[in-house]
Amino acid sequence: MTENPTTKRFSLRTLGLLLLPIIALAGVIFLFLSTGGGLDLEPAAPVEDLTIERYALEPGGIALHVRNAGPEPLTVATVIVNDAVWPFTVEPEATIPRLGRAVVHLEYPWSEGEAYGITLFTANAIPFEVDIPVAFTTPQPTTGTFWSFALIGVYVGVIPVFLGIFWFPALRQLGRRWLVFLMAVTAGLLVFLGLDTLVEALENAANAPAPFQGIGLIGIGAVATFLLLDALSRRQASTGTDEAAQRLSIAYMIATGIGLHNLGEGLSIGAAYNVGEIALGAFLVVGFIIQNITEGLGIIAPVLRDRPGLRSLLWMGLIGGAPAILGAWIGGLAPSPTLAVLFLAVGTGAIFEVVYEIAKLVQKDTSRQPMPMTVFYGVLTGMLLLWVTGLLIK
Amino acid sequence: MNHKFSRRDFLKASGVGALSALGAAVLGYSKSRAEGQPHRSVGMATQHGNGAMPGVVGEVDHAANGFDPTEILTDFDYGRVSTLPDGRTLREFDLIALNKTIEVVPGIEFPAWTYNGRIPGPTLRCTEGDLVRVHFKNGSNHPHTVHFHGIHPASMDGVPGTGPGGGVEPGGEFTYEFEAEPFGLHLYHCHVFPLARHIAKGLYGAFIIDPRDGRPPVDREMVMVMHGLDVDFDDTNDFYAVNGIPFHYQNHPIQIKVGETVRVYLVNILEFDLINSFHLHANFFNYYPTGTSLTPAEYTDTLMQTQAQRGILEFSYKFPGMYMFHAHNTEFAELGWAGMFEVTE
Repeated sequence: MTENPTTKRFSLRTLGLLLLPIIALAGVIFLFLSTGGGLDLEPAAPVEDLTIERYALEPGGIALHVRNAGPEPLTVATVIVNDAVWPFTVEPEATIPRLGRAVVHLEYPWSEGEAYGITLFTANAIPFEVDIPVAFTTPQPTTGTFWSFALIGVYVGVIPVFLGIFWFPALRQLGRRWLVFLMAVTAGLLVFLGLDTLVEALENAANAPAPFQGIGLIGIGAVATFLLLDALSRRQASTGTDEAAQRLSIAYMIATGIGLHNLGEGLSIGAAYNVGEIALGAFLVVGFIIQNITEGLGIIAPVLRDRPGLRSLLWMGLIGGAPAILGAWIGGLAPSPTLAVLFLAVGTGAIFEVVYEIAKLVQKDTSRQPMPMTVFYGVLTGMLLLWVTGLLIK
Repeated sequence: MNHKFSRRDFLKASGVGALSALGAAVLGYSKSRAEGQPHRSVGMATQHGNGAMPGVVGEVDHAANGFDPTEILTDFDYGRVSTLPDGRTLREFDLIALNKTIEVVPGIEFPAWTYNGRIPGPTLRCTEGDLVRVHFKNGSNHPHTVHFHGIHPASMDGVPGTGPGGGVEPGGEFTYEFEAEPFGLHLYHCHVFPLARHIAKGLYGAFIIDPRDGRPPVDREMVMVMHGLDVDFDDTNDFYAVNGIPFHYQNHPIQIKVGETVRVYLVNILEFDLINSFHLHANFFNYYPTGTSLTPAEYTDTLMQTQAQRGILEFSYKFPGMYMFHAHNTEFAELGWAGMFEVTE
């Protein structure tokens, strides 16, 4: 017994020492609350925050789904629609507890295709506004809309990804230099997608209720996903599988990252569909297919020199494309900015981790045969591909 | 890769596509709509069962407010009357500036500045040639004054820079004294700067000087002070009203009889918006701008007033029924400046 016993045994004394600062903290908080801590501040007006999470239009009526994001309960007192005070009811009731949700119902004869501005006044005369840029009946979650959202997801996600994967037989014939080039292209594509996903996460974070700390959620989602995928890939590398298996797992990870990105796309398509800002014209879908076909290319790039098997290719295509369907369902039928932030943050983390994995693969290849400009042209080509195809559909 | 803005930009440009397949909104007035407004007990909706229309849910607490627009309508303050040694009539009025929280629409409290605790302040009424003494006390925590429209010496004008009456400090008092002229319909309001805020917070009222020999008798006289309510202090009116409470006379129609002659003293003190207006439904009225002539200037059904303009309306109804009156700035009407005459046999 040479060690200090306190490092070995968890005694009552240790527990006491651990709790001491917490007890002291409680005392300090009590002292602060009871004395005001020297800050004699009484807010002149109450701090209130009402987030209008979404609206739903039905013939002759408007429903506003709101959440009290402020520190105290608040009461909805008056509703003004396009400069007219309008009668309303609130479900469950007009006084909403902190972080509580309510639905404000208006019987309002709105007109298809017109714009509406709605102001909600709380009992403390603090206004909160929501714009309805284009009014039309909000799709109700029926089997019909369920399937039409699924179809949108198939067109935007699944089909283009598979089309890209169909390049597999042709690209297999390429030499090492071209394979490295294609992987660099993939990295470029992913960097572009990652930035895009991050920006969309930030946009959604701005719409999420303040107490949910959207920016913080992005950090948690992105960093956790990055580190988790990194840990998984390291564990796999340490189990001594061959390089081909590692490349296959990287292809799966690319598919996952792209899948999460497409989930984010689905979310925004569904949400835009709901607010009437989207009309999936034939031209737009064509634009998606052209742009998203590069995603399929990216998925297969690491495994071109291997024989991944039809089953694997099928799975990778589904993982990369099908989340668009799920996203469209969530975005269209139960939109939640907070949930969207989390999904998009996970997508961001996944995509950048995959870029890191590809970089490691490229590193292995270029250590045998240096080709710095190939990597440069590849990454740039990947980013420009998305930028230019983006130009076409904007 | 196509973030939502690219899609939306595209959509805005490309117009409606597959969307229309979702089915058009069926608009119009459903029967259920009128049933969905349980709080609207009186007024047009129930009278005509015609469903969706602007209005408030519920009723403000008039007792807590300390005034009721229905009473303000016919509440004329003639002052304490006595005769001076030279035979002239002396009228003495008391005005006190008070900070008061007023429930202006159900559930929304407006931290108002008032004369005598009400918006608008009392309708002061005297006769041409009377000596008017207004004992003003400032019971609030801001300097205030009473500035009358009329003919009087500068020291009685209630404007900063004109002496002690030009700025009465909290707890202070001042007596404004002048001979009532010219006859007509006038107004008074606080003139301390920033003026827009001092007016918008509620410091105003009507001031009537009757002609020496009076006006031709009518069956009913009423006062209507048109104003706005900026409850969130962004220098834009959130609600509009006559006599303090938006939609009050829509929910509580003014009762008159067929054939009764009605005289309305109409004053506009609307802040922030350039003009206000008054439109009478299914009828015409004789209009006496500023009330300074006994001969009507116009026979019309709509008039326009800028801030501090005022005039007298005279009319009577031929047929029974519900008749709307409102600002024909229809935006103001839907934000509260709308009311009803209920004409009965």
